[in-house]
Amino acid sequence: MIPAQFDYLAPKTIDEAVGLFAQHPDEAKILAGGHSLIPAMKLRLAMPQLLIDIGRIKDLAYIREEGGQIRIGAMTTHYQLESSDRLREICPLLPECAAQIGDVQVRNKGTIGGSLAHSDPAGDWPAAIIALDAEMVAVSAGGERTIKAGDFFVDMLTTALGAGEILREIRITTPSGRFGQSYLKVPQPASGFAVVGVAVTLTRDSNGVCKSAGVGITGVASKVYRASAVEQAISGSALDEQTLAAAVAHATDGVSVNGDLYASEAYRRHLAQVYTRRAIEAAASHAK
Amino acid sequence: MKIEGTHEVHAPPERVYATLIDPIVLQRCIPGCERLEKTGENAYSTTLRAGVGSIKGLFTGNVRLEDMQPPRHFRMVVDGKGQPGFLKGAGDLDFEERNGVTIVSYKGDVQVGGTIASVGQRMLQGAVKMMATQFFTAIEAEAKTEAHEPPPKHGFFRTALRWLSGLLRRKFRGTAPSAK
Repeated sequence: MIPAQFDYLAPKTIDEAVGLFAQHPDEAKILAGGHSLIPAMKLRLAMPQLLIDIGRIKDLAYIREEGGQIRIGAMTTHYQLESSDRLREICPLLPECAAQIGDVQVRNKGTIGGSLAHSDPAGDWPAAIIALDAEMVAVSAGGERTIKAGDFFVDMLTTALGAGEILREIRITTPSGRFGQSYLKVPQPASGFAVVGVAVTLTRDSNGVCKSAGVGITGVASKVYRASAVEQAISGSALDEQTLAAAVAHATDGVSVNGDLYASEAYRRHLAQVYTRRAIEAAASHAK
Repeated sequence: MKIEGTHEVHAPPERVYATLIDPIVLQRCIPGCERLEKTGENAYSTTLRAGVGSIKGLFTGNVRLEDMQPPRHFRMVVDGKGQPGFLKGAGDLDFEERNGVTIVSYKGDVQVGGTIASVGQRMLQGAVKMMATQFFTAIEAEAKTEAHEPPPKHGFFRTALRWLSGLLRRKFRGTAPSAK
């Protein structure tokens, strides 16, 4: 439980961090909240030669509303998102998701940016972020770029962030109209990670017809994914019993479902369908 | 852990089979393979830097090919150990031609132990699938180009090309798996 030797740098500004990362793109890892990276280092499953700690940079933890978007700083902790009254009003999926991550200690230290950049295949944030069709703002020595959530999660523990790139901000279009959201998960009892986690955001018109839907599923495959077939099946419907039953049968369409000692492939597939249905029902009940 | 899967390779079975048992090609195609040396008839020793994302470990091990029935079948026996754990297992590879496409089916049983098995169990299957996909994508590229070209001569052009692709791969590592 003692990490291999590493060097440590703690820049004070994002520019300084980007400059340092550009000098050591291959050897360095960015340390955010450290609740995935440090355990992996203590087990010596990860042995970076250099840690660039962005935890001392002042202006990276915030929740702002700007230009029709909710902008979240990468170093915002899970707890800050969980306890935001404003978010509970304008995008309840975020606090609902945050509240189900790990335990109190993890939520106090762990950050949304760190979690997304780590991209654990059973992480909670990726499901919400992909359902909300968010944008990630990444900075490097070459400048800034935005990456769509759908392109961000490349594979297990692999994101579209290039060497030397740091995730700085997450941007979410502020939901409008009659919308409802929900995040439901089956936590692994020992780790708290999602065996299956389903995030749903949807809008309904005055007749209760579903106008748009985003469904993100984590824990099931090697990476988070949008259940597009489910989204299509429920869009334009009144979210009646029959439509839902038929729609959730497509919850794992086109993905290769993983199994492990705790949950077999067949069990996960079943959970994905049941929880997709429950999450849609919960979201629909909020959109009235 | 049971490992099972199929991959389609767009090349004739003879070519795919030959590619899969060629140590020089294997070293290029196995994700993270740093060394692959022949130690006997159909037996090799290897060093792999295997893993996904920031979770990586150095493994050394042995690979033995058995029950060879070209171009339809062979059995692969592997054992290896490294800092994050150890693995031991065997698998059967079968090759079947369907409309000019070779269907490679693999089926095996691997025992994984140590740190990687105790804390990484939930990710093992996904990691194996990810590396298998990278491997077969690389094999397909090899089998395809070599199907209508002479086997690689280690000429200047090819070496330069390989150096360049290696450089690009290192440069863009983390952007996207190179074999995708």
